[in-house]
Amino acid sequence: MATIQLSKVEKKFGDLHAVKPLDLTINDGEFVVLLGPSGCGKTTTLRMISGLEAVTGGRILLNGKEVTWKHPSERDMAFVFQFYALYSHLSVRQNIAFPLQAQGMKREAIDKRVNEVVDILRIRHLLRLRPGKLAGGDQQRVALARALVRRPAAFLMDEPLGALDAELRESMRAEIKNLHIAQHATTVYVTHDQIEAMAMGDRIVVMSKAEVQQVGTPVDVYYNPSNLFVARFIGSPGMNLVKGKFSGGAVRMAGNDRYEVPPAWQKPLADSLDGRDEVILGFRPEAARVTPDGSMAGEVYATDMHGGHTVLHVNICEGEIVHIRSDRQNTYPMGTPIRFAIDPEMVRFFNPRTEAAVRREAAR
Amino acid sequence: MARFEERGPRFPTVQPVRVDKIHPRAQALRRIVALIAVVVTIIILLPVFVMGISAFKTRADVMSSPPKVLFRPTLEGFMLLLTERAVVSPARLEELQETAKEGKLSLFERLALDAGMEITGPSAYVFRLRNSVIIAGISTIASVVLGLFAAYAFSRFRLRGKDDLLFFILSTRMLPAVVVTIPLFLMYRQLGLHDKHLGMIILYTVFNLSFSVWLLKGFIDEIPKEYEEAALVDGYTRLQAFFRIVLPQAASGIAATTVFCLIFAWNEYAFALMLTSQRARTAPPSIATMMGRGGIEWSAIAAGSLGFLIPVVIVTFALRKYLLRGITFGAIRG
Amino acid sequence: MPSTHVQGISPAASPIGQARRHLSDRSIQNLFIWPTLLLLIAVNLFPLLYSLYLSFTNFLAVQNKPPVWVGLSNFGTILHTPEMWHYFATTGRYALMSVGLQTVIGFGLAMLVRRKFFGSGLITTLILVPMMISPVVVGMFWKMIYNPNFGFFNFLLGAGHAGKGVDMLASKFFGQSTPGLALIAVAIVDVWQWSPFVMLLVLSGLNAIPEYLYEAAAIDRASPWFQFRRITLPQVAPLLLIAVLFRTIEAFKSFDLVMGMTGGGPGDQTELIAVNLYRQAFLGTFKTGFSSALAYIILIIIIAASNMYIKYLNQIKGEA
Repeated sequence: MATIQLSKVEKKFGDLHAVKPLDLTINDGEFVVLLGPSGCGKTTTLRMISGLEAVTGGRILLNGKEVTWKHPSERDMAFVFQFYALYSHLSVRQNIAFPLQAQGMKREAIDKRVNEVVDILRIRHLLRLRPGKLAGGDQQRVALARALVRRPAAFLMDEPLGALDAELRESMRAEIKNLHIAQHATTVYVTHDQIEAMAMGDRIVVMSKAEVQQVGTPVDVYYNPSNLFVARFIGSPGMNLVKGKFSGGAVRMAGNDRYEVPPAWQKPLADSLDGRDEVILGFRPEAARVTPDGSMAGEVYATDMHGGHTVLHVNICEGEIVHIRSDRQNTYPMGTPIRFAIDPEMVRFFNPRTEAAVRREAAR
Repeated sequence: MARFEERGPRFPTVQPVRVDKIHPRAQALRRIVALIAVVVTIIILLPVFVMGISAFKTRADVMSSPPKVLFRPTLEGFMLLLTERAVVSPARLEELQETAKEGKLSLFERLALDAGMEITGPSAYVFRLRNSVIIAGISTIASVVLGLFAAYAFSRFRLRGKDDLLFFILSTRMLPAVVVTIPLFLMYRQLGLHDKHLGMIILYTVFNLSFSVWLLKGFIDEIPKEYEEAALVDGYTRLQAFFRIVLPQAASGIAATTVFCLIFAWNEYAFALMLTSQRARTAPPSIATMMGRGGIEWSAIAAGSLGFLIPVVIVTFALRKYLLRGITFGAIRG
Repeated sequence: MPSTHVQGISPAASPIGQARRHLSDRSIQNLFIWPTLLLLIAVNLFPLLYSLYLSFTNFLAVQNKPPVWVGLSNFGTILHTPEMWHYFATTGRYALMSVGLQTVIGFGLAMLVRRKFFGSGLITTLILVPMMISPVVVGMFWKMIYNPNFGFFNFLLGAGHAGKGVDMLASKFFGQSTPGLALIAVAIVDVWQWSPFVMLLVLSGLNAIPEYLYEAAAIDRASPWFQFRRITLPQVAPLLLIAVLFRTIEAFKSFDLVMGMTGGGPGDQTELIAVNLYRQAFLGTFKTGFSSALAYIILIIIIAASNMYIKYLNQIKGEA
């Protein structure tokens, strides 16, 4: 059982906020990803949970009990470091046994646990080797084994795949997720890679500049980003965001493009814009479709072939480029004028001043 | 302890720190360690301090037992160190005392007068000190310059037998001074270099050369070759690349090496002892022979020691960043 | 000798290159290296060979007679003279004492100043000072400190009055003749002077240990002693070994300090091998041939040790 609660947890360095007061509940067995660019506070938050960093304010609770000031080893959490933190002078077996030895466990019990764990991660053949001789992926497996062997209530992982190459990252991703499922373990995972977060997380906590931008499932965060940052950060490429003015039921953008706002959005948009008319129109590349009778027009600037699909860079006016997904057959030479339409179910709007998303339904 | 675990620290922790490290016990421990470090440092520097104050004691105070901690400071030791004196006749004594009343005597002259003597000129030590400065200075410049060129060549060019050459160069540093001095003594005698400044300069240059080549090579190795290669492609000659690109980047390494060579040459004793006698003798061999009336002149020795080590201490402090880099670099990178 | 070459525009083709006659890589190579090599050969290599030759003769520098070949008899004499073995033994004991203590104290000092605290930088620099002083000067003022009558050492021991107390350099402990005391006294000074060196090396090793190793250990509830044994010590061990090797070689060459403090006495209690060599070659009858042989024996020992040192160094570099 491991429910972790963060209540107004914050970290300041002098006057600088590394993490602004943050509330978060991580449920038992959940895989929560802290996602954001470097310096956003995600690692600091993770370290505060583990005790490697002391909080400046707020409380941390494990299963309802306060652990804010407990020794890192008394929180029943295991930490997986980005650079593995393996002891180079000890063998793999000794590395894995280390935490149990430190606790003073008996020899036979240690051996038993090590054997279990080693089979789960399929590294039995590496037991006698030293970490220095292993490939990155194997080293990370040893680090995972060392965390696993303690049978902790929660796993904390700090960009564990950051030091691996792309291909390995993908396979390790699946391994870690499977491990999580098999162990029913609560996991808090830090990464800057949004693909990783989307693939692995039950819920994602998007952070930027020491603040939480949005907490939600991958679907939530992808289809209903709560602000401009999340809209841009999630998805590759991120959401297209075009400035415009809302009047007469439509959004006019530079270059005389005019987009009819779907009926469901008319009132929410009018309400939230508060009398002003500046608005930001947002749509994902796959929400746009090239069609001769589309309401938006532009010129093809570049074409990215992705094998299964193509991403068109379309210049809609004065250098404002949007990305449109298209199927493989349609490759356009540079400069071709095209028209496209935006799926009314997938279009989103943002308030340029507050950067927040406009909600389609009234706030509940 | 229970209180800390419930309540946390009394002041918010605004620096990166682990939870267990801000526990009051951990903090107290750190303070104790700091205290011990201070105490240990004081103990370590005590001998230097003792010697230092002895330089300012009178003959009598220096030899008093138990040793005096509070005393009237004087420059007598320095006077004894730096001047030659002669005993004066009673007549002359009176003359001098007259001059003293008129305030026309210098400090040293007055001190000498108190001991019933008159200053006849600077002591041999002063000349030795000057020799030290000349020989150490010139040999350092020579060894750093030559070492720099050689280090660059070793670092950038592929040479036949490079590793062996480098080993040869390093091994010369490992020799005990006496092994080399015996034949050198004979050679110098033949060549007329015995007891000449040039002889010592050459010797110190060579001995520092092995160290400086190794140290500088290590520093130059760390400068990426790409900078020079880019310059070469742009049309610079290798010499130009060397002067404009490598040299500025190696500046701190050069500083470290210079400091070491200086300190070695300045402090060197064995060679100076065996290969010089009167003219080119440097300070270290002379400090040991401060004989005065009635035995060893302790205050003079203390004065000499103090004066001799102050330049080194100043250099150490001024260039400590380079020193630290150099020492660990030299020992680890070989 | 091949020189490094650069693809692309050859320097001569560019305007700058044409403007002046430039030196080829090859000539620069030679220009840079040969002066150094020549000096080294002249002042190091040649004397070494000359010394080798002398060791097979019975040359005396004071005489004007040319050297006479005596083959290995010098070496034989040395190896069969008990005094020589005694001096080697003395040097060995000295090295053991001195290096052993230096290592422990140096390590301790490094552990003390390892974490930054207010003034730790200053303290580290201050601790360096003993290392920077000329050994003979160090010897001189420690002689003063050890002086039985007015020395600070005796004062601290609580016995400062003339004649009583400890006379380290005369090996008298409260009036009792205790041979070996002088050697210990000299060793103490050597430890005083060179512990900072060990400290520096160990410190650089300590600073290189990544913090996350300790963090991982903290999370695993490893006790401080456990962390020291399993993380700190193994990571620092290579550097410590380098320091030990280096200082041992230096201890065998030790000359300046002894000359400043005791000159070899009392009797021959502090007659280290380098000191004896000096005596044979430059004092008394200037037994050049004989002392050359002795010098060579010492040299061989030191070369063997240095070899070990360099090999170990390369091994570390290889692993790093």
